[in-house]
Amino acid sequence: MALIKTKTAQPVAADERKQSRDCASLVAELENANPIARRWAARDLTDWPTASAALVKRLPQEEDASVRAVILTTLTSMGDEVAVAGLVDCLRSENVALRNEAIEAMKQLPDEVAPIMRGLLADASPDVRIFAVNILESLRHPAVESWLIDVIDHDPQLNVCATAVDLLGEVGSAAALAPLQHLKARYADEPYIQFAADLALNRISED
Amino acid sequence: MTDTTISQPDFEKFREFFYRKTGIQFEPSKRYFVDKRLVERIELTDSGTFRNYFTKLRFEASGEELQHLTNLMTVNETYFFREEYQFQCLVKSILPDIVSRKTDKRPIRIWVMPSSSGEEPYSIALYLLEYWTGINDWDIEIIASDIDTKILAQARAGLYSARSVQQLPELLLRKYFERSTNGHQICDDLRNAVEFTRVNLAERADTRAYRDFDVVFCRNLLIYFDDVSRKAAAETFYDAMKPGGYICLGHSESMSRVSSLYKVRKFPEAIVYQKPLEVR
Repeated sequence: MALIKTKTAQPVAADERKQSRDCASLVAELENANPIARRWAARDLTDWPTASAALVKRLPQEEDASVRAVILTTLTSMGDEVAVAGLVDCLRSENVALRNEAIEAMKQLPDEVAPIMRGLLADASPDVRIFAVNILESLRHPAVESWLIDVIDHDPQLNVCATAVDLLGEVGSAAALAPLQHLKARYADEPYIQFAADLALNRISED
Repeated sequence: MTDTTISQPDFEKFREFFYRKTGIQFEPSKRYFVDKRLVERIELTDSGTFRNYFTKLRFEASGEELQHLTNLMTVNETYFFREEYQFQCLVKSILPDIVSRKTDKRPIRIWVMPSSSGEEPYSIALYLLEYWTGINDWDIEIIASDIDTKILAQARAGLYSARSVQQLPELLLRKYFERSTNGHQICDDLRNAVEFTRVNLAERADTRAYRDFDVVFCRNLLIYFDDVSRKAAAETFYDAMKPGGYICLGHSESMSRVSSLYKVRKFPEAIVYQKPLEVR
Protein backbone atom coordinates (compact mmCIF):
# COMPACT_ATOMS: atom_id res chain seq x y z
CA MET A 1 0.00 0.00 0.00
CA ALA A 2 1.19 3.53 -0.60
CA LEU A 3 0.54 7.15 -1.30
CA ILE A 4 -1.52 7.20 -4.45
CA LYS A 5 -2.50 9.97 -6.78
CA THR A 6 -5.87 9.95 -8.45
CA LYS A 7 -7.81 12.58 -10.32
CA THR A 8 -10.35 12.97 -7.59
CA ALA A 9 -11.67 16.39 -8.42
CA GLN A 10 -13.42 15.55 -11.64
CA PRO A 11 -16.39 17.76 -12.41
CA VAL A 12 -19.43 16.24 -10.80
CA ALA A 13 -21.48 15.01 -13.67
CA ALA A 14 -23.30 11.91 -12.60
CA ASP A 15 -25.19 12.81 -9.48
CA GLU A 16 -24.90 16.57 -9.30
CA ARG A 17 -27.04 17.22 -12.34
CA LYS A 18 -29.71 14.68 -11.60
CA GLN A 19 -31.73 17.67 -10.46
CA SER A 20 -32.03 20.89 -12.35
CA ARG A 21 -30.64 23.89 -10.47
CA ASP A 22 -33.32 26.40 -11.41
CA CYS A 23 -35.08 28.14 -8.53
CA ALA A 24 -38.25 26.04 -8.52
CA SER A 25 -36.31 22.76 -8.62
CA LEU A 26 -34.00 23.88 -5.83
CA VAL A 27 -36.95 24.91 -3.69
CA ALA A 28 -38.46 21.46 -4.28
CA GLU A 29 -35.11 19.93 -3.31
CA LEU A 30 -35.43 21.53 0.13
CA GLU A 31 -37.92 18.72 0.83
CA ASN A 32 -35.60 15.93 -0.37
CA ALA A 33 -35.22 13.09 2.11
CA ASN A 34 -31.44 13.27 1.85
CA PRO A 35 -29.90 16.06 4.00
CA ILE A 36 -26.95 16.33 1.62
CA ALA A 37 -29.33 17.24 -1.22
CA ARG A 38 -31.14 19.70 1.04
CA ARG A 39 -27.87 21.36 2.06
CA TRP A 40 -26.79 21.78 -1.55
CA ALA A 41 -30.20 23.13 -2.53
CA ALA A 42 -30.08 25.68 0.29
CA ARG A 43 -26.55 26.64 -0.72
CA ASP A 44 -27.36 26.96 -4.42
CA LEU A 45 -30.41 29.10 -3.69
CA THR A 46 -27.95 31.90 -2.92
CA ASP A 47 -28.07 32.57 -6.66
CA TRP A 48 -31.82 33.24 -6.55
CA PRO A 49 -32.59 36.46 -4.68
CA THR A 50 -36.30 35.67 -4.70
CA ALA A 51 -35.76 32.41 -2.85
CA SER A 52 -35.60 33.87 0.65
CA ALA A 53 -39.33 33.26 1.20
CA ALA A 54 -38.94 29.55 0.45
CA LEU A 55 -35.92 29.29 2.74
CA VAL A 56 -37.72 31.15 5.51
CA LYS A 57 -40.66 28.78 5.14
CA ARG A 58 -38.44 25.71 5.28
CA LEU A 59 -36.30 26.88 8.21
CA PRO A 60 -38.66 26.11 11.14
CA GLN A 61 -39.61 22.74 9.63
CA GLU A 62 -36.04 21.59 9.06
CA GLU A 63 -34.96 19.12 11.72
CA ASP A 64 -31.38 18.56 10.62
CA ALA A 65 -29.07 21.11 12.26
CA SER A 66 -26.57 20.94 9.38
CA VAL A 67 -29.25 21.87 6.84
CA ARG A 68 -30.54 24.65 9.10
CA ALA A 69 -27.00 25.99 9.32
CA VAL A 70 -26.75 26.23 5.52
CA ILE A 71 -30.22 27.80 5.22
CA LEU A 72 -29.21 30.40 7.81
CA THR A 73 -25.94 31.13 6.04
CA THR A 74 -27.80 31.62 2.76
CA LEU A 75 -30.39 33.86 4.41
CA THR A 76 -27.59 35.85 6.03
CA SER A 77 -25.91 36.31 2.66
CA MET A 78 -29.21 37.44 1.14
CA GLY A 79 -30.01 39.75 4.05
CA ASP A 80 -33.18 41.05 2.40
CA GLU A 81 -36.35 42.11 4.23
CA VAL A 82 -37.99 38.70 3.83
CA ALA A 83 -34.91 36.95 5.21
CA VAL A 84 -34.70 39.29 8.20
CA ALA A 85 -38.44 38.97 8.88
CA GLY A 86 -38.06 35.19 8.77
CA LEU A 87 -35.26 35.35 11.32
CA VAL A 88 -37.40 37.56 13.54
CA ASP A 89 -40.16 34.94 13.40
CA CYS A 90 -37.67 32.36 14.66
CA LEU A 91 -37.22 34.45 17.81
CA ARG A 92 -40.79 33.50 18.70
CA SER A 93 -40.17 29.79 18.14
CA GLU A 94 -40.37 27.26 20.96
CA ASN A 95 -37.38 25.52 19.42
CA VAL A 96 -34.43 26.75 21.48
CA ALA A 97 -31.79 25.67 18.96
CA LEU A 98 -33.55 27.46 16.12
CA ARG A 99 -33.98 30.58 18.23
CA ASN A 100 -30.31 30.69 19.15
CA GLU A 101 -29.29 30.06 15.56
CA ALA A 102 -31.49 32.96 14.42
CA ILE A 103 -29.94 35.24 17.06
CA GLU A 104 -26.46 34.30 15.82
CA ALA A 105 -27.49 34.94 12.21
CA MET A 106 -28.99 38.33 13.04
CA LYS A 107 -25.75 39.39 14.74
CA GLN A 108 -24.15 39.14 11.29
CA LEU A 109 -26.59 41.62 9.79
CA PRO A 110 -26.07 44.95 11.58
CA ASP A 111 -27.26 47.17 8.76
CA GLU A 112 -30.30 45.04 7.98
CA VAL A 113 -31.31 44.51 11.61
CA ALA A 114 -30.77 48.14 12.69
CA PRO A 115 -33.99 49.50 11.13
CA ILE A 116 -36.12 46.97 13.01
CA MET A 117 -34.22 46.96 16.29
CA ARG A 118 -36.38 49.58 18.04
CA GLY A 119 -39.44 47.53 17.10
CA LEU A 120 -37.90 44.37 18.52
CA LEU A 121 -36.91 46.12 21.72
CA ALA A 122 -40.51 47.32 22.08
CA ASP A 123 -42.07 43.94 21.27
CA ALA A 124 -45.01 42.88 23.44
CA SER A 125 -43.15 39.71 24.43
CA PRO A 126 -40.43 40.20 27.08
CA ASP A 127 -38.71 37.07 25.72
CA VAL A 128 -38.38 38.64 22.28
CA ARG A 129 -37.04 41.83 23.90
CA ILE A 130 -34.43 39.75 25.76
CA PHE A 131 -33.44 38.02 22.52
CA ALA A 132 -33.14 41.42 20.87
CA VAL A 133 -30.71 42.45 23.60
CA ASN A 134 -28.85 39.17 22.99
CA ILE A 135 -28.48 40.16 19.33
CA LEU A 136 -26.96 43.47 20.42
CA GLU A 137 -24.28 41.55 22.29
CA SER A 138 -22.10 41.37 19.19
CA LEU A 139 -23.91 43.48 16.66
CA ARG A 140 -21.37 45.76 15.07
CA HIS A 141 -23.47 48.91 15.03
CA PRO A 142 -22.78 52.36 16.50
CA ALA A 143 -26.28 52.62 18.02
CA VAL A 144 -25.90 49.59 20.31
CA GLU A 145 -25.23 51.63 23.43
CA SER A 146 -28.12 54.05 22.83
CA TRP A 147 -30.51 51.14 22.27
CA LEU A 148 -29.40 49.57 25.54
CA ILE A 149 -29.80 52.85 27.39
CA ASP A 150 -33.28 53.13 26.00
CA VAL A 151 -34.06 49.65 27.33
CA ILE A 152 -32.95 50.40 30.87
CA ASP A 153 -34.73 53.76 30.78
CA HIS A 154 -38.08 52.44 29.63
CA ASP A 155 -38.52 48.69 29.68
CA PRO A 156 -41.08 47.68 32.35
CA GLN A 157 -39.69 44.16 32.73
CA LEU A 158 -36.92 43.48 35.22
CA ASN A 159 -35.35 40.58 33.29
CA VAL A 160 -35.08 42.61 30.12
CA CYS A 161 -33.39 45.44 32.01
CA ALA A 162 -31.07 42.99 33.75
CA THR A 163 -29.92 41.55 30.41
CA ALA A 164 -29.32 45.04 29.06
CA VAL A 165 -27.36 46.08 32.15
CA ASP A 166 -25.05 43.08 31.83
CA LEU A 167 -24.24 44.13 28.29
CA LEU A 168 -23.89 47.81 29.14
CA GLY A 169 -21.15 46.80 31.55
CA GLU A 170 -19.22 45.63 28.51
CA VAL A 171 -20.06 48.22 25.88
CA GLY A 172 -21.25 51.23 27.87
CA SER A 173 -19.54 54.61 28.06
CA ALA A 174 -19.99 57.67 30.26
CA ALA A 175 -23.33 58.20 28.53
CA ALA A 176 -24.69 55.15 30.37
CA LEU A 177 -23.74 56.30 33.89
CA ALA A 178 -26.82 58.43 34.63
CA PRO A 179 -29.29 55.92 33.14
CA LEU A 180 -27.72 53.18 35.27
CA GLN A 181 -28.22 55.33 38.38
CA HIS A 182 -31.85 55.90 37.40
CA LEU A 183 -32.33 52.18 36.94
CA LYS A 184 -30.93 51.54 40.40
CA ALA A 185 -33.44 54.01 41.80
CA ARG A 186 -36.28 52.44 39.79
CA TYR A 187 -35.47 48.97 41.13
CA ALA A 188 -34.24 49.96 44.58
CA ASP A 189 -35.58 46.72 46.10
CA GLU A 190 -34.09 44.37 43.52
CA PRO A 191 -30.72 43.06 44.71
CA TYR A 192 -29.70 41.67 41.30
CA ILE A 193 -30.25 45.00 39.55
CA GLN A 194 -28.30 46.77 42.31
CA PHE A 195 -25.45 44.31 41.93
CA ALA A 196 -25.40 44.29 38.09
CA ALA A 197 -25.76 48.07 37.79
CA ASP A 198 -22.96 48.65 40.33
CA LEU A 199 -20.77 46.25 38.40
CA ALA A 200 -21.51 48.07 35.14
CA LEU A 201 -20.92 51.46 36.76
CA ASN A 202 -17.57 50.30 38.12
CA ARG A 203 -16.48 48.87 34.80
CA ILE A 204 -17.44 51.99 32.88
CA SER A 205 -15.77 54.25 35.46
CA GLU A 206 -12.57 52.15 35.26
CA ASP A 207 -12.49 52.77 31.50
CA MET B 1 6.03 55.51 -14.17
CA THR B 2 2.44 56.75 -13.89
CA ASP B 3 1.00 58.33 -10.82
CA THR B 4 -1.82 55.92 -10.05
CA THR B 5 -3.70 56.45 -6.84
CA ILE B 6 -6.44 54.48 -5.14
CA SER B 7 -9.02 56.64 -3.39
CA GLN B 8 -10.97 55.60 -0.32
CA PRO B 9 -14.16 54.94 -2.37
CA ASP B 10 -12.05 52.91 -4.86
CA PHE B 11 -10.65 50.86 -1.99
CA GLU B 12 -14.13 50.26 -0.57
CA LYS B 13 -15.49 49.28 -3.98
CA PHE B 14 -12.64 46.87 -4.60
CA ARG B 15 -12.83 45.43 -1.09
CA GLU B 16 -16.51 44.62 -1.52
CA PHE B 17 -15.99 43.08 -4.96
CA PHE B 18 -13.02 40.98 -3.91
CA TYR B 19 -14.88 39.76 -0.85
CA ARG B 20 -17.82 38.60 -2.96
CA LYS B 21 -15.52 36.78 -5.35
CA THR B 22 -13.17 35.13 -2.87
CA GLY B 23 -14.59 35.44 0.66
CA ILE B 24 -11.39 37.23 1.66
CA GLN B 25 -12.01 40.39 3.66
CA PHE B 26 -9.42 43.15 3.82
CA GLU B 27 -9.59 45.28 6.94
CA PRO B 28 -8.88 49.02 6.58
CA SER B 29 -5.48 48.30 8.17
CA LYS B 30 -4.56 46.34 5.02
CA ARG B 31 -5.02 49.42 2.85
CA TYR B 32 -1.33 49.80 2.02
CA PHE B 33 -1.00 46.09 1.15
CA VAL B 34 -4.03 46.23 -1.16
CA ASP B 35 -3.21 49.59 -2.77
CA LYS B 36 0.34 48.51 -3.59
CA ARG B 37 -0.85 45.41 -5.44
CA LEU B 38 -3.69 47.19 -7.21
CA VAL B 39 -1.36 49.90 -8.48
CA GLU B 40 1.07 47.23 -9.67
CA ARG B 41 -1.63 45.52 -11.74
CA ILE B 42 -3.09 48.82 -13.05
CA GLU B 43 0.34 49.71 -14.37
CA LEU B 44 1.18 46.27 -15.73
CA THR B 45 -2.11 46.07 -17.61
CA ASP B 46 -1.79 49.66 -18.90
CA SER B 47 -5.22 50.41 -17.51
CA GLY B 48 -4.25 53.98 -16.56
CA THR B 49 -6.86 54.43 -13.86
CA PHE B 50 -8.50 52.37 -11.16
CA ARG B 51 -11.83 52.83 -12.89
CA ASN B 52 -10.58 51.28 -16.16
CA TYR B 53 -8.86 48.48 -14.30
CA PHE B 54 -11.89 47.72 -12.17
CA THR B 55 -14.07 47.49 -15.27
CA LYS B 56 -11.64 45.00 -16.77
CA LEU B 57 -11.58 43.04 -13.52
CA ARG B 58 -15.34 42.81 -13.31
CA PHE B 59 -16.26 42.13 -16.88
CA GLU B 60 -13.35 40.21 -18.40
CA ALA B 61 -14.91 36.97 -19.61
CA SER B 62 -11.83 34.80 -19.02
CA GLY B 63 -11.37 35.97 -15.42
CA GLU B 64 -7.64 35.97 -16.11
CA GLU B 65 -6.94 39.35 -14.52
CA LEU B 66 -8.93 38.45 -11.42
CA GLN B 67 -6.76 35.36 -11.08
CA HIS B 68 -3.54 37.43 -11.45
CA LEU B 69 -4.74 39.79 -8.77
CA THR B 70 -5.87 36.98 -6.48
CA ASN B 71 -2.42 35.46 -6.76
CA LEU B 72 -0.94 38.74 -5.59
CA MET B 73 -3.41 39.30 -2.78
CA THR B 74 -3.05 35.92 -1.09
CA VAL B 75 -0.37 35.34 1.51
CA ASN B 76 1.73 32.22 1.08
CA GLU B 77 3.93 32.00 4.11
CA THR B 78 4.69 28.48 5.31
CA TYR B 79 7.45 25.90 5.85
CA PHE B 80 7.92 22.15 6.25
CA PHE B 81 6.70 20.64 9.54
CA ARG B 82 4.98 23.87 10.58
CA GLU B 83 2.75 23.04 13.59
CA GLU B 84 4.19 19.54 13.57
CA TYR B 85 2.08 18.46 16.55
CA GLN B 86 -0.89 18.15 14.18
CA PHE B 87 0.99 15.72 11.96
CA GLN B 88 1.82 13.74 15.09
CA CYS B 89 -1.88 13.81 15.91
CA LEU B 90 -2.64 12.57 12.41
CA VAL B 91 -0.44 9.48 12.68
CA LYS B 92 -0.91 8.72 16.38
CA SER B 93 -4.60 9.46 16.90
CA ILE B 94 -6.63 10.44 13.85
CA LEU B 95 -5.62 7.75 11.38
CA PRO B 96 -5.72 4.92 13.94
CA ASP B 97 -9.29 5.98 14.76
CA ILE B 98 -10.26 6.13 11.10
CA VAL B 99 -8.82 2.73 10.20
CA SER B 100 -10.39 1.15 13.27
CA ARG B 101 -13.79 2.09 11.83
CA LYS B 102 -13.09 1.30 8.21
CA THR B 103 -15.12 -1.49 6.69
CA ASP B 104 -13.68 -1.29 3.17
CA LYS B 105 -10.24 -1.09 1.62
CA ARG B 106 -10.83 2.16 -0.24
CA PRO B 107 -8.05 4.74 0.06
CA ILE B 108 -8.02 7.17 2.96
CA ARG B 109 -8.48 10.65 1.54
CA ILE B 110 -6.80 13.81 2.84
CA TRP B 111 -7.57 17.31 1.56
CA VAL B 112 -5.17 20.16 2.24
CA MET B 113 -6.65 23.60 1.69
CA PRO B 114 -4.82 25.88 1.11
CA SER B 115 -1.90 24.09 -0.45
CA SER B 116 0.20 27.23 -0.65
CA SER B 117 3.64 26.35 -2.07
CA GLY B 118 3.26 22.70 -1.09
CA GLU B 119 5.16 22.48 2.19
CA GLU B 120 2.10 21.26 4.10
CA PRO B 121 0.85 18.49 1.79
CA TYR B 122 4.41 17.28 1.25
CA SER B 123 4.99 17.35 5.01
CA ILE B 124 1.94 15.14 5.43
CA ALA B 125 3.14 12.71 2.75
CA LEU B 126 6.56 12.59 4.29
CA TYR B 127 5.17 12.14 7.79
CA LEU B 128 3.01 9.24 6.70
CA LEU B 129 5.92 7.49 5.02
CA GLU B 130 8.22 7.98 7.97
CA TYR B 131 6.01 7.77 11.03
CA TRP B 132 2.85 5.81 10.22
CA THR B 133 3.13 2.05 10.01
CA GLY B 134 -0.39 1.89 8.62
CA ILE B 135 1.03 3.06 5.31
CA ASN B 136 1.90 -0.61 4.73
CA ASP B 137 -1.77 -1.57 4.91
CA TRP B 138 -3.64 1.39 3.48
CA ASP B 139 -3.61 3.53 0.38
CA ILE B 140 -3.68 7.28 0.98
CA GLU B 141 -4.70 10.04 -1.42
CA ILE B 142 -3.55 13.58 -0.74
CA ILE B 143 -5.23 16.38 -2.65
CA ALA B 144 -3.93 19.90 -2.08
CA SER B 145 -5.84 22.92 -3.36
CA ASP B 146 -5.31 26.65 -3.54
CA ILE B 147 -6.96 29.67 -5.14
CA ASP B 148 -3.56 30.92 -6.39
CA THR B 149 -2.48 29.25 -9.66
CA LYS B 150 1.04 30.62 -9.48
CA ILE B 151 1.65 29.14 -6.06
CA LEU B 152 0.24 25.80 -7.26
CA ALA B 153 2.79 25.73 -10.08
CA GLN B 154 5.46 26.39 -7.48
CA ALA B 155 4.09 23.57 -5.32
CA ARG B 156 4.14 21.12 -8.23
CA ALA B 157 7.74 22.08 -9.01
CA GLY B 158 8.77 21.28 -5.43
CA LEU B 159 11.82 23.50 -5.17
CA TYR B 160 12.37 25.03 -1.72
CA SER B 161 14.59 27.56 0.01
CA ALA B 162 16.77 26.73 2.99
CA ARG B 163 14.30 28.64 5.16
CA SER B 164 11.42 26.41 4.03
CA VAL B 165 13.16 23.21 5.03
CA GLN B 166 14.97 24.38 8.15
CA GLN B 167 12.61 22.52 10.54
CA LEU B 168 13.19 19.20 8.78
CA PRO B 169 15.52 16.70 10.45
CA GLU B 170 18.75 16.46 8.48
CA LEU B 171 18.14 12.77 7.84
CA LEU B 172 14.80 13.46 6.13
CA LEU B 173 16.24 16.35 4.18
CA ARG B 174 18.88 14.07 2.75
CA LYS B 175 16.44 11.26 2.12
CA TYR B 176 13.73 13.21 0.30
CA PHE B 177 15.50 16.25 -1.19
CA GLU B 178 18.31 16.92 -3.54
CA ARG B 179 20.35 20.03 -2.99
CA SER B 180 20.85 22.15 -6.08
CA THR B 181 22.16 25.62 -6.75
CA ASN B 182 18.57 26.93 -6.68
CA GLY B 183 17.59 25.31 -3.39
CA HIS B 184 16.24 21.97 -2.22
CA GLN B 185 14.42 19.89 -4.81
CA ILE B 186 11.87 17.46 -3.39
CA CYS B 187 12.09 13.92 -4.79
CA ASP B 188 9.77 12.73 -7.54
CA ASP B 189 8.20 10.07 -5.32
CA LEU B 190 6.76 12.79 -3.08
CA ARG B 191 5.91 15.10 -5.97
CA ASN B 192 3.96 12.29 -7.55
CA ALA B 193 2.15 11.54 -4.30
CA VAL B 194 0.21 14.80 -4.12
CA GLU B 195 -2.48 16.00 -6.51
CA PHE B 196 -2.58 19.81 -6.73
CA THR B 197 -5.79 21.50 -7.84
CA ARG B 198 -7.08 25.04 -8.14
CA VAL B 199 -10.05 25.72 -5.88
CA ASN B 200 -11.78 28.88 -4.73
CA LEU B 201 -13.39 27.91 -1.45
CA ALA B 202 -16.01 30.63 -1.90
CA GLU B 203 -17.06 29.23 -5.27
CA ARG B 204 -19.64 26.44 -5.07
CA ALA B 205 -18.88 25.16 -8.56
CA ASP B 206 -15.26 24.62 -7.48
CA THR B 207 -15.93 22.75 -4.26
CA ARG B 208 -18.89 20.61 -5.28
CA ALA B 209 -16.71 17.78 -6.56
CA TYR B 210 -14.71 17.57 -3.32
CA ARG B 211 -16.25 14.90 -1.14
CA ASP B 212 -15.61 11.74 0.87
CA PHE B 213 -12.56 13.08 2.65
CA ASP B 214 -11.43 11.42 5.86
CA VAL B 215 -9.22 14.29 6.95
CA VAL B 216 -9.11 17.97 6.01
CA PHE B 217 -6.27 20.33 6.85
CA CYS B 218 -7.36 23.95 6.67
CA ARG B 219 -4.78 25.82 8.64
CA ASN B 220 -4.43 29.59 8.84
CA LEU B 221 -6.88 30.30 6.05
CA LEU B 222 -10.12 31.06 7.86
CA ILE B 223 -8.41 33.92 9.72
CA TYR B 224 -8.55 35.87 6.44
CA PHE B 225 -12.32 35.38 6.12
CA ASP B 226 -15.11 37.34 7.75
CA ASP B 227 -17.67 35.59 9.99
CA VAL B 228 -20.18 34.71 7.28
CA SER B 229 -17.56 33.37 4.84
CA ARG B 230 -15.95 31.40 7.65
CA LYS B 231 -19.26 29.78 8.44
CA ALA B 232 -19.89 29.02 4.78
CA ALA B 233 -16.41 27.46 4.53
CA ALA B 234 -17.08 25.27 7.57
CA GLU B 235 -20.30 24.09 5.91
CA THR B 236 -18.48 23.40 2.64
CA PHE B 237 -15.94 21.25 4.48
CA TYR B 238 -18.79 19.48 6.25
CA ASP B 239 -20.13 18.34 2.87
CA ALA B 240 -16.66 17.42 1.68
CA MET B 241 -16.05 15.08 4.63
CA LYS B 242 -17.20 11.60 5.43
CA PRO B 243 -19.15 11.14 8.66
CA GLY B 244 -16.52 10.73 11.38
CA GLY B 245 -13.96 12.66 9.32
CA TYR B 246 -11.60 15.13 10.97
CA ILE B 247 -10.67 18.73 10.28
CA CYS B 248 -7.49 20.36 11.57
CA LEU B 249 -7.29 24.15 11.83
CA GLY B 250 -4.39 26.47 12.62
CA HIS B 251 -3.30 26.88 16.26
CA SER B 252 -5.04 30.23 16.64
CA GLU B 253 -8.29 29.09 15.03
CA SER B 254 -11.27 27.41 16.65
CA MET B 255 -14.11 25.68 14.85
CA SER B 256 -16.29 26.09 17.94
CA ARG B 257 -16.37 29.83 17.30
CA VAL B 258 -17.36 29.28 13.68
CA SER B 259 -19.86 26.42 13.61
CA SER B 260 -21.56 24.08 16.04
CA LEU B 261 -21.76 21.26 13.50
CA TYR B 262 -18.49 19.67 14.52
CA LYS B 263 -17.50 17.83 17.68
CA VAL B 264 -14.39 18.93 19.52
CA ARG B 265 -11.91 16.04 19.83
CA LYS B 266 -9.11 16.47 22.34
CA PHE B 267 -6.28 14.11 21.49
CA PRO B 268 -3.01 14.06 23.43
CA GLU B 269 -1.23 15.81 20.57
CA ALA B 270 -3.81 18.37 19.45
CA ILE B 271 -7.40 19.56 19.51
CA VAL B 272 -9.15 18.81 16.23
CA TYR B 273 -12.76 18.78 15.04
CA GLN B 274 -14.86 15.86 13.89
CA LYS B 275 -17.95 15.60 11.71
CA PRO B 276 -20.27 13.48 13.84
CA LEU B 277 -20.37 9.81 12.91
CA GLU B 278 -24.12 9.53 12.98
CA VAL B 279 -24.82 12.21 10.37
CA ARG B 280 -24.81 12.28 6.59
